Amino acid sequence: MANPWIAFLVVPLVKIVVILVAVILLAAYLSFFERKILAYMQIRIGPNRVFPRGWLQPIADALKLFSKEDIVPTRAEKLVYLLSPVITTAPALVVFSVVPFASATTLFGLLKEPVTPYLTDINIGILFILGVSSVGVYGIILGGWSSNNKFSLMGGLRSAAQLVSYEVPMGFSVVAVLLMAGSLSLVKIVEAQKQAGVWFFLPGIVAFFIYFVCGVAETNRSPFDLPEAESELVAGFHTEYSGMKWAFYFLAEYANMVVISSVATVLFFGGWLRPFPNVAALAFLDVVPPFLWFAAKVGFFLFCYIWFRATFPRYRFDQLMALGWKVLLPVSLANVMAVGLGVLLMGGAR
Amino acid sequence: MTSPEVVRPFPDSEEMEVSFGPQHPATHGVLRVMVKLDGERIIDAKPIIGYLHRGTEKIFETETYNGTIPHTDRMDYTAAATNNQGLVGAVEKLMGVTVPPRAAYIRMLLAELQRLSSHIIWLGTHALDIGAQSPFFYTFQEREIILDLYEEYCGARLTLNCMRVGGQPFDLPEGWTGRCKAFVDQLPARIAEWERLLTNNRIWKKRTVDVGVISAKDAIEWGLTGPPLRGSGVKWDIRKVFPYDHYNEVEFEIPIGANGDTYDRYLVRVEEMRQSVRIVQQCLAKLPDGPVMAKVPKVIKPPKGEIYFSVEGPKGELGYYIVSDGGTKPYRMHVRPACFINLQALPEMVRGLLVADLIAVIGTLDIVLGEIDR
Amino acid sequence: MSFWGFLASVFQVDLLQGLSVTGKFFLHRKATIQYPDVKPVPADRFRGMFGFSEERCIVCHNCAKACPIEIIHIADHFEEIEVEGKKKKKKVLDRYDIDVKRCMFCGLCEEACPTEPVAIWLTTKSYESAAYERNERLYFDKKRLQNWDGVEPYPGVVTPEKGQMPNDPSGGAAGKAGEQKS
Repeated sequence: MANPWIAFLVVPLVKIVVILVAVILLAAYLSFFERKILAYMQIRIGPNRVFPRGWLQPIADALKLFSKEDIVPTRAEKLVYLLSPVITTAPALVVFSVVPFASATTLFGLLKEPVTPYLTDINIGILFILGVSSVGVYGIILGGWSSNNKFSLMGGLRSAAQLVSYEVPMGFSVVAVLLMAGSLSLVKIVEAQKQAGVWFFLPGIVAFFIYFVCGVAETNRSPFDLPEAESELVAGFHTEYSGMKWAFYFLAEYANMVVISSVATVLFFGGWLRPFPNVAALAFLDVVPPFLWFAAKVGFFLFCYIWFRATFPRYRFDQLMALGWKVLLPVSLANVMAVGLGVLLMGGAR
Repeated sequence: MTSPEVVRPFPDSEEMEVSFGPQHPATHGVLRVMVKLDGERIIDAKPIIGYLHRGTEKIFETETYNGTIPHTDRMDYTAAATNNQGLVGAVEKLMGVTVPPRAAYIRMLLAELQRLSSHIIWLGTHALDIGAQSPFFYTFQEREIILDLYEEYCGARLTLNCMRVGGQPFDLPEGWTGRCKAFVDQLPARIAEWERLLTNNRIWKKRTVDVGVISAKDAIEWGLTGPPLRGSGVKWDIRKVFPYDHYNEVEFEIPIGANGDTYDRYLVRVEEMRQSVRIVQQCLAKLPDGPVMAKVPKVIKPPKGEIYFSVEGPKGELGYYIVSDGGTKPYRMHVRPACFINLQALPEMVRGLLVADLIAVIGTLDIVLGEIDR
Repeated sequence: MSFWGFLASVFQVDLLQGLSVTGKFFLHRKATIQYPDVKPVPADRFRGMFGFSEERCIVCHNCAKACPIEIIHIADHFEEIEVEGKKKKKKVLDRYDIDVKRCMFCGLCEEACPTEPVAIWLTTKSYESAAYERNERLYFDKKRLQNWDGVEPYPGVVTPEKGQMPNDPSGGAAGKAGEQKS
């Protein structure tokens, strides 16, 4: 009797709690790491005062945001105004339910049976991710509109237009991976890379670059961060938000960054696999647990996000849209055709 | 001059007038621009100034000549040495005093270091406006060394008060020339690094090429000077055309641009930094010995008359017009501020562009409100 | 566009160049000075807080006349003293006030002072005179100027009653016109 309770209720609950806490903490600490890494690239030291040496800075920020006054603009549409941050943040967190962090593990022998470190693996994994993360766009439009501020509305519409346009080439770059893997399930995609013996990054390098560029644009990050830039006329959809509501938008942005990095890792960089997983000569690398490989790859992508922010100027909005529709879309379409041809010639999906 | 009619995408829609307010992170001071927008296109832009007016020219009338020098520091506060140079040059010309050669060379050194410092500020803040955050820190780190050099020479970093009528107040301290030479010798490598970040960058080019174009003819008619004029292809630099302070004894080039857009002005200023390095190296090598102060009376009383004298500041031609009635205080001292006259061309340059380009153009004109408003 | 130009554009060479610059600076030594644990040392000629010596002052009012914004307020009176049996008049300083909150630290008062070493000087290397209340804390009368009451002297700076700057035997006149060359 105890077993079904544990298997179907307790274990998933524990996983949900662990994943949620980990993701929220990661998003908060990502803001800290961003400040530190940006600072290091700009020959200065980031926050280093909050005990010890700055590591509790995100906690201090969270406490400050909790204690701020709750301001609602006078003629704002109150219900929508309060719900919009939630509409943006919830999908960003829900997506983590299907991301596979590692293969089945016994946690170094602590558990009797191996447990899968991800919540679930549905057979339309990547479609679920693309669909759910698109719901987040609603939060941006509704947030901009409900603020009763024409600049917020403009910023929200621009941001939404940017997000929607860059989803199309992103979808096509994912299709290239699907052609190579033959399945929509994320775990099966990683296993397909293990079978192929090479990460999909190598045969799908064009798809990877398109995916990552679109990912950066999806999260409103530099160099595509015109809707949020401070030195612009419009301060973006989150102008009228302060305190914890703003913190939600902030959290959603960083959680989206982690989502894009995780999905890029799973699709293109082999998830939890080591480099060249079938080459026996590199078997000594197996001493590193799979989760650490996954974390290292996600960490690398997050570092690249921050590196781009430190380096590149911003695109103007019309140039941004032109890049998405006139450059990335045709290239991704051509890439799909090329990958399809390659897969056909190599004898079907591996 | 005629401005082209802006093509309105929706001719029946209303214009929106927006105040790009005095408190804004990108306007380099308290500048207000009233922008008429049609969607995102700018139809007209009107700069409104005066938020930093401190009555400097009236204050000049109440000070002795040496006492006006600290007030000039605060006009174009990013380029205090050239402000000082203009003022003392004007008074000396009125009095007929020639400064000793060592003092003139020290003045050239200070002015060229100041040009480097001002262009460094411009580069950092212009890149920051367009979105590249990091060059700001790299350039300001080099500027710290320039400010340290100034501090060792005259005691202050920003509001220098480093020149007097008749020469220099102090001689160079021990080891200053060695430190200055070490700094300028490694500066071209730093400038190359900053250029690697920006010059060929496709995003930078997309934001600056063909933005804020002004033709050479229009530039001359609007009275632009400095890099905005040279970016449009006009080879005009006060240091070459009306040389002062032994500038005719050092070799340097005047960089000019081809199209008159933001990218050309960027290239012109970066090249000017390299030419300033060249001038500083030559001055350090040729520095003559001798006194640093000419024989001027303790109380400075220029003869009755009027004079206009200008220097090539980092922003453009900075001129001083002094009317003296023979007393110890000037009767009238008027400043021809380079930024004020350059800013007048802003509506001409932004008509038809998008809002994001307005920021780029304000940055490329390199305005300092202290000089505009005085 | 030439062939190599096209390739460079496709492979984003310009963007990679930019990334290499910031990446290199990531590993650079950092330029931050951890104030207030580490305080930057100003140069010798740095124009900071005032130093005043009443013994050296000859009450000539040159500093007050040279000040562009007239923040030095001096009052004096004549006293009769006996010197070698003769009655002489001596100027006695009543009031020497500096309104530091309006001072622009231009140094013209120090240049105008005729005594050797000067009686009013700015080269004290001290820059920490911040106050919560401006009007009283930043108005220095004769006694406060010499005690430096309310001003935190820089480590190693000799306060005005004890003399000029340390390691400065010429009394702050080093660097005046024609003395040193490099």
